[in-house]
This record gives sequence, C-alpha cells and structure tokens, in this order.
Amino acid sequence: MTIRLYDYSLSGSCYKVRLMLGFLGLDYDRVQIDFYPGRQHRSPEFMEINPLGQLPVLEDDGLRLRDAQAILCHLANKHDDSGQWLPRDQARFGPVMMWVMFAGGELMAASAARLHDALGYDLDIEAARAKARAAFRVLDDHLTGREIDGGKWIVGDTPTIADVACFPYVALAGDGGLGHEEYPALRNWMRDFRRLPRFHAMSGIPEFV
Amino acid sequence: MSVAQGRWTGVALDHQIQPASSNPVVLNGQALAVWRGEDGPVRVWEDRCPHRGMRLSFGFVRGNTLRCIYHGWAYGADGQCAEIPAHPALAPPKTICANSYPAETRYGIVWTTLGDGASGPPDLGPDEGWEGVRSLFVAASAEAALTALARFDFGAGATTRMLAGDIVEVSFGPELRMLVVVQAMDDERAALHAAAKGARATEERAALAKRLERLRADIEQA
Repeated sequence: MTIRLYDYSLSGSCYKVRLMLGFLGLDYDRVQIDFYPGRQHRSPEFMEINPLGQLPVLEDDGLRLRDAQAILCHLANKHDDSGQWLPRDQARFGPVMMWVMFAGGELMAASAARLHDALGYDLDIEAARAKARAAFRVLDDHLTGREIDGGKWIVGDTPTIADVACFPYVALAGDGGLGHEEYPALRNWMRDFRRLPRFHAMSGIPEFV
Repeated sequence: MSVAQGRWTGVALDHQIQPASSNPVVLNGQALAVWRGEDGPVRVWEDRCPHRGMRLSFGFVRGNTLRCIYHGWAYGADGQCAEIPAHPALAPPKTICANSYPAETRYGIVWTTLGDGASGPPDLGPDEGWEGVRSLFVAASAEAALTALARFDFGAGATTRMLAGDIVEVSFGPELRMLVVVQAMDDERAALHAAAKGARATEERAALAKRLERLRADIEQA
C-alpha cells in the first residue's frame, strides 16, 4: 500500500492533509509541486493529474483524489478503524460534514486574503477579509456555544475531520492581515488542537503551545 | 477617543483566558498581551517583546513565565526578563523588562487600565458568584455600542440601567442579573464582555449568549 501526496509546504489545504496523515500515523511519499513562483500546478503535466489545477492531490492504492475535504473524508473512512475522525452515527455524521463543507467553502476567504498578502494575488482584499471575518465569527459563535455546553471540539467529544479541515486557515489568518483578537473561542480551540498528540506545525503556525 | 486613559476597562472574560495562554487584546488602539501562567492571575502587558518587538501574544507559557515566540526570551510575572536561551549563563540585565499594565479580575471579567491604576476597577458590590456569559466583538464605535446596548430589548421583564459610563446592568428579576462592559478597541471596533450572577445564571447562560448575538446584530445595523 502506497500513499502519495502532491504537496506544497506553504499551502494550508495541503497542510490539513498532512495533519490528517500524521494523526492517523500513515507513511506517505511527498511530491513537492512548485506552486509559487513556478505555478507548476498549472503545468500541462500536473493538469493531467488534476484538471482543476489545484493542490493537494492524494493517491492511495490506485485511487487518485483531489480536494482537501474529500481527501480528509477518504483517509478517515479508509484508515481510521476507531471511527473517531469521521463518526458514522446520525447525531454526528451530518454536523461533521456540514463543518467540513464550511472549511472548503466560506472559510476559504481567509485563504484568499493570505494569497493576496503573501503571494501577491490580484483580488479584492477588503472583500476577502470581510468574508473571512464573517466565517470566523460563525465558527467562534459555534465554539462559544460548545464551550457553554461543556464541549471543546467542533462536533462531539473528540476531534474530527471537521476540526482538521477548519484549523489551518483559522490559524494562518495573520498571513492575510486578519488578527485573532475578536475570537476568544477560536483561540482556545486552536490551542487545544495544537496540543493534540502527533500535531505538527507548518510555517506560520508555531510548534510551541 | 472619548474613553479616559485613566479609567479601568473590562478587556476579557476571566474564564476565557486559560491557564498557560497568551492572548491578543486591543484597547484604545493599544495592542496588549493578556496572559496567564500555569497557575495564578491574569496579567496584561504591552504586546511587544523588549528584544525585537515581536508580539508577546504569539508567545507561549512555561511555568509562570511568558516566552517570546521569536527567540524564547522568558519574562517572569514582574515583567523582568528571566532567561535568554541563546546565552544560558547570562543573568539578563534588569533593564530588559516587558511593559506591564495593572490587571485585576472582578465579576468574572479581567479589568485593566492604560493609566496608573490608582483607582482600581469599579466597585459594583460583592465579587462572589459572577460567571462569564460571552464576549461580543462589533464593527462599531464603543459609543454606538453603548447607545444600542442601553435601549436593547433583553426580553419580557428585563430592566436595563447604566451603572457607569461604559457598564450596563440588566436585571431579569431576583434570580438573574447580567453585567455588560463595553471596551473601545479603536474608533471603529468595540468589544462587550457579559457576566451573570444569580440562581438561574448557569442554566440561562446559553439563552443569554444567544440574546447577546442579537444585540451584536442590532449594534452593527444601527
């Protein structure tokens, strides 16, 4: 069984897949794609691997998958015998998927702000930041409610792929000119996340908690 | 900025400043690191390492020292630099000291002042029994937030009265009271910190938090 990740070190979307592979204790090969400045993800060779021209891509025993959220679902579905990371019970499966979709949807405004500030992408930065703040507020309100109910993860009593999917672009907010001052529940959730066994850092997210 | 520099202001809920954590807070345009050691009280410092200016709210706590994320310089509760990892044999000079502000926890809320702190936080009665409800952050001035707060409908039977320039008490009868403290972040942003007391405070916390989210929408629509 071989797992191969087409990867870019500074990508928050690739990072969430690396986090998941780490939490599950899986060995894998990394193929480094020169996203910036090389734009290798738009090369003819890579477009054959992913016609959307996006990272990450994961290959697992002959299966080729794009989309970080889909990859998290696949890894938890196939490789997590405990069922913790992708709960199948009716009370948790739907909510976990809802927040996984949120991570790939609304929360990606924070990624856009970061692409603008860090890599010089030409986009409406104020619009991106406003959307990112709105998404952060939705998650902060949710985690405030969880704290009131005695919980600390997005869904249920253990971390799930919802936490893994949401973590990178919340934690990397500063790269897009977005502070954490207004999100006390996000700060405490991020600290708990960074204290998980097998957590590892990336550039912009410190190892020390 | 209309908020007097000497006045004490609520800047966070005590329970949300967890042990061994450092947190960013903006008060009247001043960036602060609000941190707590592994045990002990909350401390409020300028969000700036004296060494290279890195934000101390990015730092991490070991024991009861706050360490800067950049070079690991450790600062004790008094703000004095206690250790420089790159020079383990060196006793750090006394001149290396983080800039600290007065800090006190009262009514479940962390209070500070950018002034000398001589007056102390406001005295609103006994400190016992208060628990944090939630903080709110609004895209509005502190003045606009206070105006909307003072006339907000907290529900049937609730009465609202101004206790001080930036503190409102909401009474829901003999078994439930709530304090809401307004903090100016800058001219365009404010924070509100709410704490509750009374026999129904714990069971009503979720409902109060939801009500406060309505208040936030109200403030931002005004």
